[in-house]
Amino acid sequence: MKLALARSLRLKLLGVILLTTLVALVVAVAAIVVYDLRDYQRNWTSDINTQAELLARISASAIAFDDPQVARENLDLLRLRPHVQAAAIYTAKGAAFATYARPGTNPAFPKSPKAEGMLMDGDALIVYRRIVSDGETIGTVYLRTDYEMLQRIRDYVGIAIAVTFIAMLSALAMSTRLQRVVTNPVLAIAGVAQEVVEQQDYSRRAMKMSDDEVGVLVDSFNGMLAEIERRTGELEVSNAELGREVGERSRAEQEILRLNAGLEDRVRERTAQLEAANRELEAFSFSVSHDLRAPLRHIDGYAHMLEEDAAGQLDAGMRRYIDTIRGSARKMGVLIDDLLAFSRLGRKPLELLAVDMNDLVERSLRELGNISAASIVRIAGPLPPARADASLLRQVWVNLLANALKYSAKRGDSAQVEVSGERDGAVARYRIRDNGVGFDMRYVDKLFGVFQRLHSQNEFDGTGVGLAIVQRIVLRHGGRVWAVGEIDRGATFTFELPAVQAQTTEDKP
Amino acid sequence: MNFQHVEILLVEDSSADAEMTLRTLKRRGIANNVEWVKDGVEAIDYLFCEGTHAARGNGQPKLVLLDLKMPRMDGLQVLERMKKDPRTKAIPVVMMTSSREEGDLLASYQLGVNSYVVKPVDFDAFAETVAQVGMYWLIANEAPR
Repeated sequence: MKLALARSLRLKLLGVILLTTLVALVVAVAAIVVYDLRDYQRNWTSDINTQAELLARISASAIAFDDPQVARENLDLLRLRPHVQAAAIYTAKGAAFATYARPGTNPAFPKSPKAEGMLMDGDALIVYRRIVSDGETIGTVYLRTDYEMLQRIRDYVGIAIAVTFIAMLSALAMSTRLQRVVTNPVLAIAGVAQEVVEQQDYSRRAMKMSDDEVGVLVDSFNGMLAEIERRTGELEVSNAELGREVGERSRAEQEILRLNAGLEDRVRERTAQLEAANRELEAFSFSVSHDLRAPLRHIDGYAHMLEEDAAGQLDAGMRRYIDTIRGSARKMGVLIDDLLAFSRLGRKPLELLAVDMNDLVERSLRELGNISAASIVRIAGPLPPARADASLLRQVWVNLLANALKYSAKRGDSAQVEVSGERDGAVARYRIRDNGVGFDMRYVDKLFGVFQRLHSQNEFDGTGVGLAIVQRIVLRHGGRVWAVGEIDRGATFTFELPAVQAQTTEDKP
Repeated sequence: MNFQHVEILLVEDSSADAEMTLRTLKRRGIANNVEWVKDGVEAIDYLFCEGTHAARGNGQPKLVLLDLKMPRMDGLQVLERMKKDPRTKAIPVVMMTSSREEGDLLASYQLGVNSYVVKPVDFDAFAETVAQVGMYWLIANEAPR
């Protein structure tokens, strides 16, 4: 391609030079030839006319004296002029008076002369000239000469071709060498461009050989290369940066995948840790219960022993002190037991089964051991079964029923506790209503808190853990519990549990 | 040197608990001769006549009241030693503890404890419990001679 380009450029330049040279030569030669031919024609006709005039002058007397011999001798002088083919002198009457023919030829002469003038006849030029004497035409000169115009043109064409050929050869030889001055810098640029394209090497530069337009081209080309190199460099840098970012992103994605993969393990690990922590907490609560119970037992025990041993010396006030000490110690023992019971709730996994609520309520009432409970508590119709852990749910009923009985006890025989239940879609709802002392709805939020009580210890016994236990158990079942009350008008506790679905009941043996 | 026959070996690190137990047993007339040791190591020494009790020659107790949590050697370790050794295997052991931790309860029974009693906070209940245990094992129960 490089070679073809070089050839192409060189050939074009050569063609231009040669064509220009040819045109110049042809124009020059043509001009010379035209000028020369015109000059020749002018000179020749002038010469012939002069010849005819001379012949007319010298032949005038011969005609006047009717001496053909003289006329013939005059014509013979034309031997000195080899171009003259034939000549003749006619009398005024048009008869041939004397003739001349170039030696070795026998031309035909016109029978009578024509009007004065010059005319062409093939390769010959014919001139007629009046012979005038004393203002009277006495005869006519006939002159026939070679006319060499065509021959001359042929010669000129031959010369012009030869000259042109030689000139073109010279021009070819010279321009072949001289054109390199122009083509070489261009070809150098072309070569560099070729290499840049083929090797993608933008650090190449074309060599500047001159300060002309090609030099400017070289500068511009190099400038462009530098710019391309700079941009290519920037592009490479940004490409590398991009590649690095892509790599980083890919690494980050790998990391995410790895972390995700590890996440489950960590969740398992954390769950195990949580379970361990939970177990530790339970172990802690048991050892606390152990360590707290022992001193309480000692307080109560020693107060008792003091009371026994000093029985005779104690007055009523002292006895009251000792009773208070013992009462407080026992109270704290109950608190610890209740707290332990509450914390134990989270320990056992739920055993969810369909629970017969009527049966459970009756068993809970028996457990309360309240003889009057059976007469006070009225179960309104069959209760819907719930899907629950029976042993935990029993604690719910025991606590709620005990509360209802406790807070309605002041009503005596008119105390009433009603248990009812209903199925509401997927939910089983239970209600325990009493007509006891009720509570102030402003403090309903505190009702289910651990150790939260709305009544003083003097009014009603209790530790404030029962409702907290109720709420915790109901929440563990995915249910909810709430209360509505009014002071001295009673309270209604409601809790909801997941109802037993049809197939679940069938599953039950 | 005490050659009187010991009815009960009380293993209890808490002197208060020990005093209340001893008082109850004596006041109720269940046992007058009770040997009290303060931890598991001493209990083992007593039972196998080792260390400070090497020279005692008054036979084995009819009942061991064993506290669970004690320094040096706890109740479970003592129980394990006793139930593995033919010399002490037949002696009734009642675990008396402050808490009913499931693990302790289970371990005690697997090691062959004869009874497991939680000491109530209430002294009246405590005294009643101690009395019942003593009455049952020393009076109602027939042990091999």
